Amino acid sequence: MSRFSRELTVAGALGLLLLILAVFAPNFYHLQPFISRLTSQMPALVAAVGIALVIISRQIDISIGAQLSMCAIIASVAAGSGLPLGAVILTSMGAGVLMGALNGVLVAWVGLPSIVVTLATMVAWQETLRLWQQGRMLALPEGIQWFGLSQAAGQTAVISVSLTIVIAAAWAMKNLALGRFIYAVGSDAEAARLAGIDPRRTTFGVFVLMGVLAGLAAVLNLVQSPQVQPNCGDGLELKAIAAAVVGGVAINGGRGTLWGVLLGLLLLANVNPALTHFHLPPYWEKAIQGLVILLAVLADGLGRRKRPR
Amino acid sequence: MKRKSFITTLALFATLPFVSCSKSESKGKLTIALLLKSKGNQYFVTCEKGARIAAAQINAELKVDGPINSDPAKQNEIVENWITDGVDVIVAACENKDSISTALRKARAAGIKVVTYDADAQPDARSFFVNQATAQGIGEQLIDTAATLTGSEGEFAIITGTLTSANLNEWIKHIKARHAAKYPNMKLVDIKPCDDQKDKAQQETTNLLSTYPDLKVIVSVTSPGVPGAAEAVKQAGKTGKVKVVGLGLPSENNAYVKEGVTQGVILWNVENLGYLAIMAGAAVAKGDLVAGATEFDGGKLGTMEVTGDQIILGKPVVFTRENIDQFKF
Amino acid sequence: MVLLLVIVLEVILFNSLGRRFLSGGNISNVFRHSVEIGLLALAMTPVILTGGIDLSVGSMMGLSAVLFGMMVNSFGVDPWLAGLAAIGFGALGGGLNALLITRLNLPPLIVTLGTFSLFRGLAEALTKGAESYSAFPKSFLALGNSDVAGLPAQIWVFLMVAAGIWLLVHRTTFGRSFRAIGYSAEGACYAGIPVARNTSLAYIIAGAVAGLAAVILVARLGEARANAGIGYELLAVTAVVLGGVSIFGGSGTVSGTLLGWVSLAMLNNGLTRISDYRIMDQTVASVARELSGLLTGLLLLAALAIGAWTKNLATRRARGQSHPENPPRSSPP
Repeated sequence: MSRFSRELTVAGALGLLLLILAVFAPNFYHLQPFISRLTSQMPALVAAVGIALVIISRQIDISIGAQLSMCAIIASVAAGSGLPLGAVILTSMGAGVLMGALNGVLVAWVGLPSIVVTLATMVAWQETLRLWQQGRMLALPEGIQWFGLSQAAGQTAVISVSLTIVIAAAWAMKNLALGRFIYAVGSDAEAARLAGIDPRRTTFGVFVLMGVLAGLAAVLNLVQSPQVQPNCGDGLELKAIAAAVVGGVAINGGRGTLWGVLLGLLLLANVNPALTHFHLPPYWEKAIQGLVILLAVLADGLGRRKRPR
Repeated sequence: MKRKSFITTLALFATLPFVSCSKSESKGKLTIALLLKSKGNQYFVTCEKGARIAAAQINAELKVDGPINSDPAKQNEIVENWITDGVDVIVAACENKDSISTALRKARAAGIKVVTYDADAQPDARSFFVNQATAQGIGEQLIDTAATLTGSEGEFAIITGTLTSANLNEWIKHIKARHAAKYPNMKLVDIKPCDDQKDKAQQETTNLLSTYPDLKVIVSVTSPGVPGAAEAVKQAGKTGKVKVVGLGLPSENNAYVKEGVTQGVILWNVENLGYLAIMAGAAVAKGDLVAGATEFDGGKLGTMEVTGDQIILGKPVVFTRENIDQFKF
Repeated sequence: MVLLLVIVLEVILFNSLGRRFLSGGNISNVFRHSVEIGLLALAMTPVILTGGIDLSVGSMMGLSAVLFGMMVNSFGVDPWLAGLAAIGFGALGGGLNALLITRLNLPPLIVTLGTFSLFRGLAEALTKGAESYSAFPKSFLALGNSDVAGLPAQIWVFLMVAAGIWLLVHRTTFGRSFRAIGYSAEGACYAGIPVARNTSLAYIIAGAVAGLAAVILVARLGEARANAGIGYELLAVTAVVLGGVSIFGGSGTVSGTLLGWVSLAMLNNGLTRISDYRIMDQTVASVARELSGLLTGLLLLAALAIGAWTKNLATRRARGQSHPENPPRSSPP
């Protein structure tokens, strides 16, 4: 019970929000907008899964928004040169692997702090993109949007791929050695090392995985419309980190579940549509988002208040 | 040790301003500095293209700079750097009217000619404003187009860039004024910011469509908002039922206009705006364009009329299914 | 001392390749335009020394700027008095961070991520996003735009704050406790240091200085708007970390932060001066903003890598005499 208290709290908050919406704004549940809304949150969900693994292993990656933009633009240039869909997806994920590996090498093997490394790579990718594309919106060739399927089938594909990733990752974190390595390294790297786990290899692996997921998230993002904008990943890092933390992932590593991340993301993602449906003026949006984050951590703090310094 | 390095640092500060070393520079060529509202933005990339054509034509040196994010202080910094640089003319598109005027006044005090384009500064901070269309004209054209499409009735919503953007707010103000005066049967239900991200515009429009099922038209005052709103309308299966109008580049909206999702994309000839701004700047520097003039030579655009302290580029273009292929920006 | 070398290199490079980099006017521009970020970097130093971080300082600037503009324009408060009040509001905001971080033991990164959103959101809500304030007396605007004794007026304020923070951090037992806390909060606690109280003070100072930075920014621009200081928090963190302050807390100096700040400010300005050389078919000056971002990233990584490498050498030499150092970790419990 107490083990999943955080997930239950978030689920309760989400349930309450959805219930209020059901009573006061039933329009929220019309099928098409509901599905479209859900689909548009899926890239952030995939990124949040990645960032959750990174945070559980006691690191952080603030370059994921820039990574997503970079992957999306590389993929659309690849698509524009006539590569088939499968190759485009692989290109995007490959670009993600390279960027993730760079972070991984610098953090795990050179031993630099991840927040600084990824701050540096974030700026570097953003500026490279600006020099390269000058903010140009790129048109995608036919057959990329919705993977060349119908809209309904495409949306189903995007949602099911993302949920599969959450389920697979949640299962792997519990049942695979790698998943337990991540928790072990995140709780105590030295103890993990003594237990025969190589913390550096695990850390490197987590950053590469983050890159793969960023590349995949980029694909899930670009199939949703016929054009790609080079700033498409801006702000993603804050959204994903907030979702992970609200969902109960401890920023100091070693603790958190992907179910919590899923709930955290759904909660945060629905705040903004809810404001629209309640006819609140848009200039309250940022303040309320901040309050939700603070309330979530506050609940956490009050819940386990002990050992005041 | 620590104290020593601290004192060294202080000493560094203290001595630097007094070290001076001037370098000789090539004189005779007119140096024109073009200030953009933001770099890496297609609109201003196109402006810059026109500006380069003009600069090459009159054999002037052109410097181009602009902020890369929405930091309001950056434009001031750039202008003040140009003042110490000693450029001859500054041609500026202003993000924040009041703050940039502080820097432009300094430039004029230093003997630099100042011309604004795209978005004006305070009148005492520049000599002429090359106007693509007045804020009033833009606002009214947008709501008039929306009204024509809906028979002057029904609900409409606005997509804007960021809430703090000064000139977008100026346009919205004129939309509201015209709305209050002329279209009593229309109702403005909401204004949503999209942070200049197409994807966010798409999400906001999806929310607007489900919140207001009777919505008749979406007006975007920012260019990424137009394709974003169009995609949401298309995905909602409301093509034609909910109209989309906005300020946007033809290249970004071509497909939606042809499919009939977007009914009205409005913009002026951006390349010519950049071109004309440089020509005006050069004319002011050479003394060909002085206060009280009624016309000046706009190069390839012919003789341009001067009204008071403004030079109007010409009427905005409305891009439609028929003409959109002719525009390559 | 690597940074001193970097700065000297920058001066030589920009002065020989660029135009008028070392002219008096330009150097005073470099400092005038980066005072706000410098102040934030100074304020962030004690916070990072304690092993924390404050992502809310940029948003705090926005909120303070709006409150300041509102007081002067809507309520006719004297700008100097309003300036003091803005600093007070900053301190209050910092106090909120401090309360959540020290009394409830919440992680600083997350708390300040929340207030980052909250403060900016309040600034937007107060002005409905659209309003701005620009009627300020000339005497106040002089703070941002005039020179005093050959230096930009705001530099004098900056130097005072720098001296104050340097004295605090390096010359008082109170300030030394910041590093002790960052090195090991538990150890500091056993050593009798009031950890919660001292950590709180670091955040309150950070908020107050952010308020001051907002006032100086408004004085320079002549306009107060909700988007003041947007993105400054990361620039400040970059300067601090480049200056050799460990992001995990426990080690670093105020002079390091100052050097980090100077080298970034010069990089930012210097590249825009190089208009005679071309890169990728464009003059360096016309892509200076993008290049300086890229180079900042590289500089940051290089500085850290050199730091890690030299430290590694030192540990290897010292091994045998003392315990091998534990892998660095930020762990405010």
